[in-house]
Amino acid sequence: MSMITNDPVQCERAHNVLKDVYDPEIGLNVVDLGLIYQIDFDEAIHSIYVRMTLTTQFCPMGESITDAVKRMLELSFDNTQVKIELVFDPPWNHEMISEEGKEFLNGE
Amino acid sequence: MDTDSHSNNLVKNTTHKVVLPFYIYSSASFFISTVFLFFSVSAFTQHFFHPQILAITHMMALGWGTMVILGASHQLVPVLIEGKLYSITLAYLSFVFAAAGIPLLVYGFYVFDMGWPAQLGGLTILISILLFVINVGVSVTESKVHNVHAFFVFTAALWLLITVIIGVLLVFNFTHSFLSKNSTEYLPLHAHLGIAGWFLLLVIGVGSRLIPMFLISKYSNEKLLWIIYCLINAALLTFIGLFLYWPHTAFLFIPVLAILLALFLFAYYCYRSFKERIRKQVDAPMKTSLLSVVMMIVPFLLLFIIVAWLMLDTLNIHVVIAYGFVIFFGWLTSIILGMTFKTLPFIVWNKIYRHISGAGKTPSPKDLFANRIFGAMIPVYLLGFVLFVAGICAVNIFLMNFAAVLLMITAFLYNWNVLKVLLHKPVKP
Repeated sequence: MSMITNDPVQCERAHNVLKDVYDPEIGLNVVDLGLIYQIDFDEAIHSIYVRMTLTTQFCPMGESITDAVKRMLELSFDNTQVKIELVFDPPWNHEMISEEGKEFLNGE
Repeated sequence: MDTDSHSNNLVKNTTHKVVLPFYIYSSASFFISTVFLFFSVSAFTQHFFHPQILAITHMMALGWGTMVILGASHQLVPVLIEGKLYSITLAYLSFVFAAAGIPLLVYGFYVFDMGWPAQLGGLTILISILLFVINVGVSVTESKVHNVHAFFVFTAALWLLITVIIGVLLVFNFTHSFLSKNSTEYLPLHAHLGIAGWFLLLVIGVGSRLIPMFLISKYSNEKLLWIIYCLINAALLTFIGLFLYWPHTAFLFIPVLAILLALFLFAYYCYRSFKERIRKQVDAPMKTSLLSVVMMIVPFLLLFIIVAWLMLDTLNIHVVIAYGFVIFFGWLTSIILGMTFKTLPFIVWNKIYRHISGAGKTPSPKDLFANRIFGAMIPVYLLGFVLFVAGICAVNIFLMNFAAVLLMITAFLYNWNVLKVLLHKPVKP
């Protein structure tokens, strides 16, 4: 039976891990870019469920970004299966960029 | 949804194996064109219907402009239609036929022999473009998404096909004389369907998608893009009607004004995208691409002047030559110089790093080309371009020779940087 547990420590760790995954074109990490909508842990079946988006559905780098998210989480959380759901509703918009992200884009 | 099925929501990238040959061919063509230019400077003091000018024009239009656009289109069509390219085989065949046909046609023009080399070259290019139109057409119709950008690209491909059909007819007309007028009389029709129908529609269709995407702009205005689309196509249809059935010079202002209005609207679209960008720092290739938006207005202003002169029967032949030069060595070259380094590094990066990104620090796509070479190339190019136009207008061979050397250096630096991207060695994360 699956059991979603959103342990704040685990979630924070996952977010920190994903701060090392960058959008190759923009040069900003996917967390500060606002691409990660939700991260859930299901400890019963050792899986991480990531709901995420891309800056545009046309993004030619999309596969590279989602693969990198999956790879980074698998490397950081042993024996855990990573499931990614890519969604475009709600669509990404610039308001989703964190303050750190906005600072980065202002003064790259 | 599992990790395998998330990819169903993603754009399917066309394999680099089919896209890169177009870029390589195009880069080499640019260099060869500038070498031709250096050895043909005296032709630019004569009439525009000169074998060497025709050869350089077709090398630039087909070998440089069309080949890189065909390559980029095979990569970008899936991005625009949110689907996948219909056939990789057709894309390969399109390259092979164009690559074989262009040198034959250019050779035919250079030695002004409109016999079998030019005819065979024209026909193989026609086959290439036909395959491209089928590929894009089926990709667009099979896609669930029909946005304005896809309409721009598909319509541009159709205009290219019409341009090439007319071009082939003109080549055969030199030896078989089946058209009602001399082939040279049809040149304005052939040239302008290619310039406004193929290059302009394609550049606006793709640029209106890529410019806001690269700038991370909040601005979007599909209605404005539809107006631009209608203006350009209406201008082209009006021009065909006037050319074939009602050849009064005064009425030529109608399509020219429609195109100029479309260009100003597109410049406004780019300006708003730029003003409403989130990413404040704009890199050098993007600046060059934005510069080309301004440069695309220059030839059409010249066209306005040419039509005015035509009305007064005092056409200055040097301005006509400058008009053609500004289109191919100015507008098209500036956009390709910029956009190459916004697209090619991504294609190569995806090839090398897609499967290892996220497993450590990898270079970013912009690290794949040398910014210093790019930075040196742009001033040399701009100086060479401006001096050559001045040389044409002043009928000054020395100035044109000097400018041609600068353009040759530009092409060398461009090829060097392209090779740097292509030969990039993977850096282990």
